[in-house]
Amino acid sequence: MSSSTRQRTPRTRLKADLQRVHDASPEAIIELRGVVKRFSNAAGEFTVLKGVDLEINRGEFVSIVGKSGSGKSTLLNMITGIDHPSDGRVIVNHNDIYTGVSESQRSKWRGKNLGIVFQFFQLLPMLTLLENVMLPMDYVDMYDFDLRPVRALELLEMVGLEKFANKLPVLVSTGQQQLAAIARAMACDPPLLIADEPTGNLDTRSADAVIKIFEQFVQQGKTIVMVTHDPSLTSRTDRNIILSDGELINETISRSLPQLRHRHMLEFTKLAQRRTFQPHETIISHDDSVNHFFMIKEGQVEVVLQKKRSQETIVSQLGKNEFFGEIELLRGGTSIANVRAGTKPVEVLMIPRDDFKRVMDESPVTVEAMGKIVQKRLEEHRMADPRSMKR
Amino acid sequence: MNTPIVELKNVSKTYSTAAGDFPALKNINLTVHLGEFLGVVGKSGAGKSTLLNMINGVDELTEGEVIVTSGGKPVSVHNLTEDEKAQWRGKTMGVVYQSFQLLPMLTLVENIALVMDLAENFKPRESREKALELLRLVEIEEHADKLPSFISGGQQQRVAIARALANDPDILVADEPTGSLDSITADHVFELFSRLAAERGKTIIMVTHDMGLKSRFTRHCTLVDGELMSESHAHRKGKQ
Repeated sequence: MSSSTRQRTPRTRLKADLQRVHDASPEAIIELRGVVKRFSNAAGEFTVLKGVDLEINRGEFVSIVGKSGSGKSTLLNMITGIDHPSDGRVIVNHNDIYTGVSESQRSKWRGKNLGIVFQFFQLLPMLTLLENVMLPMDYVDMYDFDLRPVRALELLEMVGLEKFANKLPVLVSTGQQQLAAIARAMACDPPLLIADEPTGNLDTRSADAVIKIFEQFVQQGKTIVMVTHDPSLTSRTDRNIILSDGELINETISRSLPQLRHRHMLEFTKLAQRRTFQPHETIISHDDSVNHFFMIKEGQVEVVLQKKRSQETIVSQLGKNEFFGEIELLRGGTSIANVRAGTKPVEVLMIPRDDFKRVMDESPVTVEAMGKIVQKRLEEHRMADPRSMKR
Repeated sequence: MNTPIVELKNVSKTYSTAAGDFPALKNINLTVHLGEFLGVVGKSGAGKSTLLNMINGVDELTEGEVIVTSGGKPVSVHNLTEDEKAQWRGKTMGVVYQSFQLLPMLTLVENIALVMDLAENFKPRESREKALELLRLVEIEEHADKLPSFISGGQQQRVAIARALANDPDILVADEPTGSLDSITADHVFELFSRLAAERGKTIIMVTHDMGLKSRFTRHCTLVDGELMSESHAHRKGKQ
């Protein structure tokens, strides 16, 4: 940075201590509790977020998806403190970021705790890449004055841009500008990085470079929350959170039935009953009629065939985000096998038969995908028990 | 109106690529006068952005000279060192781009004050006052304490223009500043530029691919394949 721009920190130091929340979940770096956001305009009031509960744990790489207008960006704005909720609480890093906090306190807190990356990179055009990366350190007055350019250069090295450190943004490619914006977001070593469509304006190769760097951050223990519409990115995150019409879709449902339309996933989210079965407890008995569709939230179930005068055969074991009960519901008839909890307790989500069938009638893609799984399971049953060929 | 403020003398710029040398600008001669609102019109790839980068010294030229006279002092831009150029640019030229590049976590007034603080032209308390003045000039003062995401694209561009004026430069260069705005909003930005030229004596150089905007400038010229054309030349070349 030219000497004239390096002599003063542009802002005075502000106290950045926020209230610590004593009942905050110890693992969570972000907790949303009943977050509601209403907007009013000439046409009236409308609710963008309808009571969102969400926990994101330290070290997770999370993507948030949803159709345009589903509330994704509003949700991010709640976490970054750009906007404020109409109701509910937002707890980030064990601090309530809204209760009793002034804008300037929040701004200072944000500078130290959050890195933020946007679709359009927002680099200052009159500053070099190095100066752009130093800006947040100047703003929150972190790191010794002489250390700042050294640290900024290290960050540029990390994203492979050290050669361009003294160039103005206009002289590097858009992919490189985004990498510089990521280096800037990490300037004050925040534990949490928030990214709003970070690859939305990039070609595939640059987008891949961005995600690789995010993966490195996660390995170093950072938490990343990213809004995206790109399915090739969501498959690379630990968790994929779907928003539909201002509400969160249950992640077990979206993982178990990924082909389902978002509105159907949301319907299932509202209909689902939770139940826990103890180790080895029977969930469905052979020849019983099946009244629910089951998705496994936690634990493992065993599908067992009981042969006469011989020992039982475990046909398959199903785990987290797999489902069962669909064969009977889709094809009719009673259960063709026993299903029981494995050696540990199993938590399942249950959808009543009629609701399941109604939604399946409207979702041929899901039925087709499920049909393939049904086919595969029936093959397994046949191999285990030739008598079932008759069915 | 006849004081030359920007002079390009035989300016050429050639990029070397793996496929060979690519001449982006060919022997450009251009004089811009104080208080002019000059439009440089041309298709994508004609060399418009390269031309701006030659004028503000962001990129190096291959041949020729650029002389900018600010505060009565002529400076040969490409003879300055990188540090000198950065300082000179900060005081002499404001830049406006198609994307507004406001820092999303700072309020509008902070976005402008930051640039003043970096250049150390004012004390911090003064810089807020000056920033508010500039927001008044671009008619957006009522939103001063909002974050950029809460105002429209057109309003954000006006803030970016206010920011470009932060250190009271004599010259504004604008690269497709209306490129991502609807026509009504773009009109407001044009009016603002015209006003800055007519009432404040700013010299404004704007490049655009939109031929329909020609009549809005006090003067315009056309770039075709790296060559600066008079109107008739451009017309003939277009017909070939």
